Parts: sequence; structure tokens; C-alpha cells
Amino acid sequence: MDLTGIGKGLAIPDAAAEKPQTAASPASKFSDALRNAVNDVSRLQQTADKAIKEVQTGNTGSLHEAMIALEKADISFRTMLQFRNKFIEAYQEVMRLQV
Amino acid sequence: MDFSTTFKIVGTGMSAARARLDVVASNLANASTTKTDEGGPYKKKTVTTAAEPVESRFDSAIADALKSVKIESVTEDPNAVKMAYDPAHPDAGANGYVALPDINVMTEMADLITASRSYEACVTAFDSTKNMALKTLEMGR
Repeated sequence: MDLTGIGKGLAIPDAAAEKPQTAASPASKFSDALRNAVNDVSRLQQTADKAIKEVQTGNTGSLHEAMIALEKADISFRTMLQFRNKFIEAYQEVMRLQV
Repeated sequence: MDFSTTFKIVGTGMSAARARLDVVASNLANASTTKTDEGGPYKKKTVTTAAEPVESRFDSAIADALKSVKIESVTEDPNAVKMAYDPAHPDAGANGYVALPDINVMTEMADLITASRSYEACVTAFDSTKNMALKTLEMGR
């Protein structure tokens, strides 16, 4: 059965066309994406930490700025968690493939 | 679009409300102060705010419309002085009148409540934005 025509009209990128890029390091793709997500979250959490420290030491920091930094870190963490869940789901789906 | 733009705008709104609150506190605390470094009684102070364009990654139509708020200046009313007859006061003039700041405590209380409500409104806007972000993460579950 010929299925190649299905995706043609839907502007779905051809998987075969992207192959040269992905084939170079197929194993590091998942970990790279995860690492980037974790790094972003870590940066925001450090900002939040700094803001809280400034409030606690009574320096220049204002309470609401610290809270906003904290909430930003919270949202980014939750976003990262969702990324991670999706990645793991996709990874396990691939590992379950019957050969 | 990104949620941090909203957070940024809301944050400046909260800073402005805090500044108004600080000035009201200063006016109330000095409602009967007769001596200042500049000489004369304490003068009633008012905060002026200005809209400021906000950097955002929205498409240009909305990016031009979005404005955060900044504190433009704190001005004082040079004529806000009232004369009260009190010859026993150490700062009384030769005619027995003392120059007191013309601060109406009722007006200041109204300003205080306005600033406090404006702060609360910013907190509510922040919470709704955060809830929107969290709802977005629940998509597809």
C-alpha cells in the first residue's frame, strides 16, 4: 500500500529530509533538550534566590519583585516538568517499539 | 507571547502603588511637622507617574500599545502651609502664629486606600496571569 501521498498536501515536513541532522547524534537529542530546559529553570531559580536574599537582608530588594521572581521560577519549573514528562513518554514509546 | 511581559508590567504597577503608599505615609507622619532642612514646615508631597513603553515579544500592534508605569517625580506643594495661632509653640512667629503643613488627614487616608486597592488590583492581575499559565500547562492532559 502506498502511503507517501498522505502528508503531501498537509505541508508536513518529510521525516527523511531531516534525517542527516538527527542521525549525527540520535542518543543525545533527548538529553540535550532536557538539559536546556533544566538550565533555563535553574537560571530563573537563582534569580529568585537572589531576590529573596536581598529582601531578607533588607537591602534594595522589594517584596513584590522577589515574589514575581519566585512565581516566574515556579512556572518555568512546572513547564520544564511538563517537557520532561513528554520527553520521557516519547522516549518510552520508542523503547517499547517491537523490532 | 510570554507571561513575563505581563509580570513586568504588573511589577511596575506594584512599585508605583508602593511609592504612593510611602508618600502618603510620609505626609501622615509629618502632618504637624514645623521644622525641615529646607526651612519652614513640612510640605505635602505628591507622586506623579508616567507611562513607559515596555519591551516585549508580542507582535508590534500590541507591543506599541503596552505601557508599564514609572515614577516620574515626587513634587511638593509650596503653598500647602496653614497658619495656626499658638503663641506657646517654640516655632511661633512674633505674632503668635505657627506655620503648619496643610495636610488633610482625610484626603491622605483616601489616597492611602486608593494606593492599597491599586496594589491589590495588580496582585489580582498577577494571579490571573499565573493561573492562565498553569492552565496552559494542563493542556492535552
